[in-house]
Amino acid sequence: MDPIIQTKNLVHEYKGGVQALKGVDVSILPNDLISIIGQNGSGKTTLVRHFNGLLKPTEGSVVIDGEETTTKSVGYLSQKVGYVFQNPNHQIFSSTVMDELKVGPKNFKFSEEKTKERIEYVVNLLNLGKILDKHPMTLDYTRKKLVTIASVLAYAPKVMILDEPTGGLDEDGRRLLRKILSLLHEQGNTVVMISHDMDFVAENTDRVIVMAEGKVLLDSQIANVFSETEILEKAWIEPPQITLLGLDVDPEKRIFLSVGDFVSHYKNRSSQKII
Amino acid sequence: MGTPIIEFKNFSYYYPNTEEPAIKQIHATIEEGDFVGLIGPNKAGKSTACLSMIGIAPHILGGDWMGDVVVNHETIQSSNVSDFTKIVGVVFQDAESQFTQETVEDEIAFAMCNMGFERSEMIKRVNEVAISCNLTEFLERSPFQLSGGQQQRLAVACLLALRPKVIILDESTSQLDPKGRDEVFKLVKELHRQGRTIIMVDHNIEKMAEYTTKLMVFFEGELKLYGPTSEILQQKELLNDYHIRLPQVTDAAYGLKETYQFTKLPINLEEASRTFKEYRGQENGSNYSNQESCP
Repeated sequence: MDPIIQTKNLVHEYKGGVQALKGVDVSILPNDLISIIGQNGSGKTTLVRHFNGLLKPTEGSVVIDGEETTTKSVGYLSQKVGYVFQNPNHQIFSSTVMDELKVGPKNFKFSEEKTKERIEYVVNLLNLGKILDKHPMTLDYTRKKLVTIASVLAYAPKVMILDEPTGGLDEDGRRLLRKILSLLHEQGNTVVMISHDMDFVAENTDRVIVMAEGKVLLDSQIANVFSETEILEKAWIEPPQITLLGLDVDPEKRIFLSVGDFVSHYKNRSSQKII
Repeated sequence: MGTPIIEFKNFSYYYPNTEEPAIKQIHATIEEGDFVGLIGPNKAGKSTACLSMIGIAPHILGGDWMGDVVVNHETIQSSNVSDFTKIVGVVFQDAESQFTQETVEDEIAFAMCNMGFERSEMIKRVNEVAISCNLTEFLERSPFQLSGGQQQRLAVACLLALRPKVIILDESTSQLDPKGRDEVFKLVKELHRQGRTIIMVDHNIEKMAEYTTKLMVFFEGELKLYGPTSEILQQKELLNDYHIRLPQVTDAAYGLKETYQFTKLPINLEEASRTFKEYRGQENGSNYSNQESCP
């Protein structure tokens, strides 16, 4: 299968000479559900901003859905790669939630019928029906964030980039986000998430790219990543509490990614002993 | 029983032009030296409670209120924000938006300058808080060139210079990376150890379980539960009703409560490791009793 996103020896140098990416090779396949993790300044956001052409490579190449980004506009690439910013206040600019949801479909010249259909879909998915007439900036943080996610989902990009989607979200918001990720995955979309929230990463993504100082330190399935304690320490990443508990108490040092895994394992173990 | 520092007395607050109160009939006492975590979903009333503790609600925001908030024996009825800020300081999520000065040193001195402190006293306090907040190497730097964690530490330093008895942090770590978040928690832990009262709003339940001594659970504007952290976190069903999850290790112990007959759930990694290791000891034939190990 051809990658939907591929970077080769990607270097990005900001004005003033700061090199944020130092030769990054990443290959993302259609329907991948990936998290990019690492501390602030590691290059995560700089990397994903190349995926919709917001940034262009200083050296190397970025190919999206078979096309080099250097020759394409942000507008063109954005239709394929939707980007939800970390801070919803940086993304919202309409005066009602409904208008905010219409921005993408209108920019990408969706027919009236298709616009209506997409908006109905995201409104139901994210329970936004009661706030469509409200000014987005008057909403609480969780709702604002959900509106920004809905406004990108409204134009159905093949790839969704979510920059720190759980930051500031309460449990209800996290539950809804979990549902959206799983739905996008079922529908064949590709999701790339930047996150510091290791519980959420562990439970909701398959593959993890660990970055530090502009380089990829590790790119692997999630369970493998959380067993690499030295690399994680270097990138200042703490595995989920349940993973740390497993590593400390389990005689075989199993990697548990969720509380459910841990509880099932020890329940089975206990019943086997009784038998 | 310790000395009360903040008392809510059947306090309700209505934002301007609203009919429903944002917090309803809150009645609770925070004592000197407490480290209180405020948890609950968004719009549950946590931030409004924080704003009331410093008098911003109602004295700056307007709106109506019933009942009273007493801060260090001064009532909200008879005081204003500047009276309360002598006792209580607050740091919000977006620390950067509160900075106005060109250097970290000037930023720390800014409030003291406005309050007419002597120059020598200002210099003394700037140096003192720069050390306690680990900012000495950044004094000449612009506040806007600091990392998120450093900015939050600077915001705390600005407050500390005024020597408040109570420090409130309202979602101060929610936009920080793990390093920045740990820097903030480490700092508040030290301030608490030195005797300050800390009040913190945060969605990270694992960190709240690890650091706080008491928890206030807010839901739909009401204070539903208030008590020692280790007791509040035993009540999974109730907390779930209020849309709050348990820390992962507590939840794991809850899931295995029947299997292993735990009588008290561990609330942090250290306690959980000890509890599960002791159980393994029991499995292997020692005379371990979980009842004894979980006081």
